Amino acid sequence: MSKSKKIILYTLLVLIAIVNVFPFYWMLSISLQPLKAVYAYPPQFYPKHPTLDNYRQIFVKYNFFRFTINSLFIATIAALGQLFTCSIAGFAFARMKFRGKELLFGLILATIMVPLEVVIIPEFLLMGKLGWINTYLPMIVPSFLIGTTGVFLMRSFYENVPKELEEAAVVDGASPFMIYWRIFIPVSRASLSALFIISFLINWNAFLRPLIYLNSKKLYTLTLGLISFVGEFSALWNFLLAGAVVSVVPIFTVYLLMQRQFIEGITSTGVKG
Amino acid sequence: MRYKWYLPYLFILLAMVGLFVFRLGPLFFAGGMSFTDWSMFGSPGWVGLENYIEFVKDPTFWKIVWHTISFSLIFVPIILFGSLILAVLLNQGIPGTTTFRAMYFAPVVTSTVAVGIVWRWIFGADVGMLNFLLRTLGIESPPSWLSDRQFSLVVVALVFAWKRLGYYMIIYLAGLQDIPRTMYEAARIDGAGALAIFRKITLPLITPTMFFVMIMALVDSFKNFDIVYTMTRGGPGTASTTLAYYIYQHAFELFQMGQAASLSMFLLVIVGGISVLNFVYKSRWVNTQG
Repeated sequence: MSKSKKIILYTLLVLIAIVNVFPFYWMLSISLQPLKAVYAYPPQFYPKHPTLDNYRQIFVKYNFFRFTINSLFIATIAALGQLFTCSIAGFAFARMKFRGKELLFGLILATIMVPLEVVIIPEFLLMGKLGWINTYLPMIVPSFLIGTTGVFLMRSFYENVPKELEEAAVVDGASPFMIYWRIFIPVSRASLSALFIISFLINWNAFLRPLIYLNSKKLYTLTLGLISFVGEFSALWNFLLAGAVVSVVPIFTVYLLMQRQFIEGITSTGVKG
Repeated sequence: MRYKWYLPYLFILLAMVGLFVFRLGPLFFAGGMSFTDWSMFGSPGWVGLENYIEFVKDPTFWKIVWHTISFSLIFVPIILFGSLILAVLLNQGIPGTTTFRAMYFAPVVTSTVAVGIVWRWIFGADVGMLNFLLRTLGIESPPSWLSDRQFSLVVVALVFAWKRLGYYMIIYLAGLQDIPRTMYEAARIDGAGALAIFRKITLPLITPTMFFVMIMALVDSFKNFDIVYTMTRGGPGTASTTLAYYIYQHAFELFQMGQAASLSMFLLVIVGGISVLNFVYKSRWVNTQG
């Protein structure tokens, strides 16, 4: 590549990067300033006297610590559940014979694109009947059990596991569950961690379910805590953006540590699903 | 492997509960509800097609359908071409690619609520960054964006596209990496320029991915509840109300569950139609390679 081409390429890449990173920079910058500085004109491009006071306030006064724990708990349990549901079903669809297999798998595929807004109304009535409104259960149970793309992903992976691996275990007298648990789970570690990451992300960022199911503040997730904050303090941008930073930091940390799995999760669930 | 006939059913049991109780069941139940006047209070009665007829006669409904379509018309082309450009730029194999990729992907992992809040600030009428820049450039009275009927829907769709670009960029990158390096090398030896290489090699071979991205982005564009709720709550008035938000309003603010269910059937038909289209035309439109 010629030098001038390289310069053009890097200029473009940097310009796009600015558009992508700028909002995060402002989020952070404002979250470190007192309200007075936020409303200063002209606006300050960096915090002149950075302070952690906003963070202290939202954690101490406004329950953000609790919201964070709630989100972590819900997203972890839901994602782990989805791993189990999808891997064991994927195993059966890939390696076992049973009546109605094609039909049931077809039904799973057919519901991949159904938007949550379509099923949420009957689901809400069902949760009401079960007495689960204002508990964590509506955020956990459906995600735990539904994994359309996950089942698809795990089935594709398990179909390609060599037969010899399975046969060796059969000779040793292992039951199908043992074969699934002791052989298939370990060989699919990469797919499973990709699936976990994607599922965790979706549940961590989920909004509609917490919004309609949760009433008591102490159960709020971070997304819901943040939006209720907007309603109460719509002009307190320093608090709002500090809250946004709190919701972003944990998921960014996971993302930076596990970038490869993120990318894999998207290409394998996205491209094929 | 030897097992009793019922064992596979035990293995898929959890997934089947998910499928029937939380997917198919609600789908059919919502279909049934759409023919009733179900509300949160009182007992539901059968009203036949009345909900549908009411909506079809209601000009507000058509306005909302138009908003929904406009949202897609803004969102899908930006995704389709924008994320392809990002992917092609990142696919040149120059140093620093992983860093840029990480930055471009950052909005994807951020919650829609956090994205919505920070962009609300940027687009703020008085203290917002954008209007400060516009005033500095000499524009005396810049629009108030999110509280302006003309702009609110456009801004929301643009912000949503900003959030989703990185996701489709990853899908394009996977597609680009499937194109054999040798083809590029051969073209370069023959003296083809960058633009010719893009038009004659990249573009034809990326068409299957483009088609896939278009379908995915189209479906994605209807799932706009989170971003509409956080940025405008459908306002001002109904200026940025889309079908997804309208369903929520009817169900959980007005508690008209029956009407909300019939609205959700419109959404289902649209998304279902796109999926069928995808299924039928995939092989015909797309130049598949091996």
